[in-house]
Amino acid sequence: MIWTQVRVAVYRHLIGKSLTPNVGLHRKHCCLHRAAGPDLTHLSPPAMRRISTGPAPVLTAAPARGLVDDPLSIKASFLPPYHPVTLCAQMRSEDGDLWEAFGHYNTSADGTVNLARDHSVGGSYLGREPMGLFWALQPAPGEREGLRLRKKNVEIPHIVDISLLEGHVTPRERASAELAVATTERWYMAPGVQRIDIRQNGVVGTLFLPPGPGRFPAMVDLWGMGGGLVEYRSCLFASRGFASFTVAFMEHKDLTVQLNVNSADAYMKKAFNILQDHPQIHGDRIGVIGLSYGVYLALRLATRSEVNPSCLVCINGPAGSNVEITRTFCKPKVSASDQRFWPRDDAGYLSFKDMSLPKNYSPGTVVELGNLACPMMYILGEDDQNCPSIENSNMIEHVLTASGKSHLYTCLSYPGAGHLIEPPYSPNARISAWRIKPEKILALWGGHTAPHAAAQEDSWKKILNFLDENLRA
Amino acid sequence: MRDFDTFPILQRQLSTMSHAAPPPILLVAPRRALVDEVIRVRVDNLPPGAPVTLRCLHQSEDKDYWEAYGHYVSDATGSVSVADDVSLGGTYRGAEVMGLLWSMRPVPGSRTGLRLRKRNVCTPMAFTISVYDGHVDRDFGGRRPLAEDLMERWYMAPGVSRVEVKERGVRGTLFIPPGPGPFPGLLDMWGGGGGLLEYRSALLASHGYVSFALEYFAPGELASADLEFKYFETAFELVRRHPAVIPRKVGIFGLSLGALVAVNMAAESTVVKPACCVCISGSHYFPRKTHLSKVHQPIAPASRKGRMDEEQNLIWRDISLPISSDLSRKTDVRRINCPVLLVIGLDDQNHPAAEYAEDMAQMMRSVGKEHLLTRLEYPDTGHLIEPPYSPHFRATNFMWKGKVTLLWGGRSKAHSDAQEDSWNKMLAFLRRHLYSPQVPEARM
Repeated sequence: MIWTQVRVAVYRHLIGKSLTPNVGLHRKHCCLHRAAGPDLTHLSPPAMRRISTGPAPVLTAAPARGLVDDPLSIKASFLPPYHPVTLCAQMRSEDGDLWEAFGHYNTSADGTVNLARDHSVGGSYLGREPMGLFWALQPAPGEREGLRLRKKNVEIPHIVDISLLEGHVTPRERASAELAVATTERWYMAPGVQRIDIRQNGVVGTLFLPPGPGRFPAMVDLWGMGGGLVEYRSCLFASRGFASFTVAFMEHKDLTVQLNVNSADAYMKKAFNILQDHPQIHGDRIGVIGLSYGVYLALRLATRSEVNPSCLVCINGPAGSNVEITRTFCKPKVSASDQRFWPRDDAGYLSFKDMSLPKNYSPGTVVELGNLACPMMYILGEDDQNCPSIENSNMIEHVLTASGKSHLYTCLSYPGAGHLIEPPYSPNARISAWRIKPEKILALWGGHTAPHAAAQEDSWKKILNFLDENLRA
Repeated sequence: MRDFDTFPILQRQLSTMSHAAPPPILLVAPRRALVDEVIRVRVDNLPPGAPVTLRCLHQSEDKDYWEAYGHYVSDATGSVSVADDVSLGGTYRGAEVMGLLWSMRPVPGSRTGLRLRKRNVCTPMAFTISVYDGHVDRDFGGRRPLAEDLMERWYMAPGVSRVEVKERGVRGTLFIPPGPGPFPGLLDMWGGGGGLLEYRSALLASHGYVSFALEYFAPGELASADLEFKYFETAFELVRRHPAVIPRKVGIFGLSLGALVAVNMAAESTVVKPACCVCISGSHYFPRKTHLSKVHQPIAPASRKGRMDEEQNLIWRDISLPISSDLSRKTDVRRINCPVLLVIGLDDQNHPAAEYAEDMAQMMRSVGKEHLLTRLEYPDTGHLIEPPYSPHFRATNFMWKGKVTLLWGGRSKAHSDAQEDSWNKMLAFLRRHLYSPQVPEARM
């Protein structure tokens, strides 16, 4: 089998019409213009709301209760033809922040809007984007800086209100311009999925099991140096039929030992063994997924220890390490002076990009890719500002080719996508607060909204197919 | 036929299907849905030509267990698809997309005369769908399934509000769709069993109607103030005057006794002007000298017009026969001015809805109003025509001078088809008359 590197040119184009600047610019990071179109602004909203004695507009969003990776079908009907309307999504995060997105549409000749068919001509996103209202969500004006939308309690859904508004307006006008509302629930957890706290042999993690007796294929799920225990991706895997074990390796109150790179190997092996020994899990069908520093840990697990994962998924992470990275990993309590030495870019945002270039890796820290014995998929965002994923991927490919193992390697490369390639339809955080104490530091992750969303959508499908092929066949 | 000597691998596969090989993959979608949505159930990764049983299990709020199951054989690719394949046995046969739901019945050993009705509409009904090796008919609990999935079915869509109402003597629960409105409204009335049943109203609100589930006959009460005509008129006015409701677009939805009341109000109320009526298993039977609480029941002892079948189930359909030409015993439907949809089971053993419907059509024809009437008549369908995919009950317990069992009629498959078809047509009828602009010749 020939190795494949797939450069995935999934890129949303901005509409190439002559664009007129519009005061409805929403956020500085998005490029939003209203395309030339019929000018209906002379009709004031209250007069338009009941344009006839006909029926009230109807808005549907289906499925009303779906998993977060289920696309929604959003449609409006019983509107006048060629009429400007706004579709708006609003939700409150678990921290109480208001997130919103909106798109400007013109109804078709039959008085309908269909997000799978129609183009947004202004707002948070442009073009034909059936899920734009979700991946273009941003904190409402006035909310705190550096927010990132992440689900902590995966047992309850996000509740997102989709509204149909009169005219081309912003969500600020929701109260006066609202014509119809459809409420949706977005779940990470399918019915019957079990969430199990694991504190075993010193390993700290959460195991998610699909419903049923098993045995199930399984994943070890590793995140980055943000630390703690991130559950949502594992929960979603279990909702899709794969048991998944998300493992904490730093900054968690239940970790009894401060890990370093070497003790982490033994720790990860124990985590893997917990899955192998579980009566409902298929010991021969366990893969590993890692994001950011989790990639390094996943690669070490696959090449250094005696465990044999069935496959690896690596997202935007390093294949080597050095003293600086190690110091960040191992430091139990970070002081303000430590923080000052963390690498910053010119704008003052935290970025490990230069630190993690392969040329800066210490000898002996680069994983022995020649020992790789299972298929590996590397997913990279070409606008990753946190980790030099392109360089790492090239290095991995080079070493595997030299070892005659290029047939095991697949690389998906997404233009315009950043570091945090996550399950689909969630918004990207180009920057976010990475540490609050002792000082608030913003980390730069990269990624432009539309291409990053495309990368999340495409890569998730490819990850699930990859797991199907390697863990179920 | 398989030759095990020649195909040892297949034999191993079959015998160790749940151990070494990856287990079959059961896919149920959607896993969270409204009760009137269709599901897809499929199993993959089976050996080809493998006999399996698909089973659906539910524990009701009353703690009874209900189940349905079908016997299938996987195809050459090792798959079973309930939508496409044929069930060879079980609680349903043939290619039945929703057989795992509508053919549910209490598990063997359960109490008799049970009926499955959701009381708390704010939580879902949970169903466990399982795949078993072989064609199984009993003792499912003692077997280990090959795969299992859980599914939730809801009466209430996200965003629908539930409001308890106690106003001007009227009791019930109001369901309001999300959004600024205003919406068309519905007064929703059940039958002579009384009490408060919210599920149909919750479902109608999930389809965009402000729906008021009206309580009458509080449990234990048989002759209360509820049953004066004025009670229903006040209830209708409450809906009509609600700020979320379009006053000109309020309809009435009734089953059984509720349908009798609906027809009567539409014809004879000077206060209530419904925009349309949906009447299920009801008619214009309305003996005026009788108190409403007694209208649907035998006045005389059961040995007179009320019969029993061979299982001691009471058959009440003859009580209101023969149809009188006397207007003191029926509503004067010639006075109706709104579209009326009649939904009738031709095997209704509780009320002779079909005979009365013919009489109603004649009366309305005599004043040139027959175009307002639409009749949906379903063969082998009983009295309790409910939202789709709910199980069929041929006879259930009923409180009347103690506990009796009433015969409702219907055969499960035909009755379930009728529930599905009539629900779609009822929703289309409501959409046409309460949402769409008025169209002349308003017959579906």
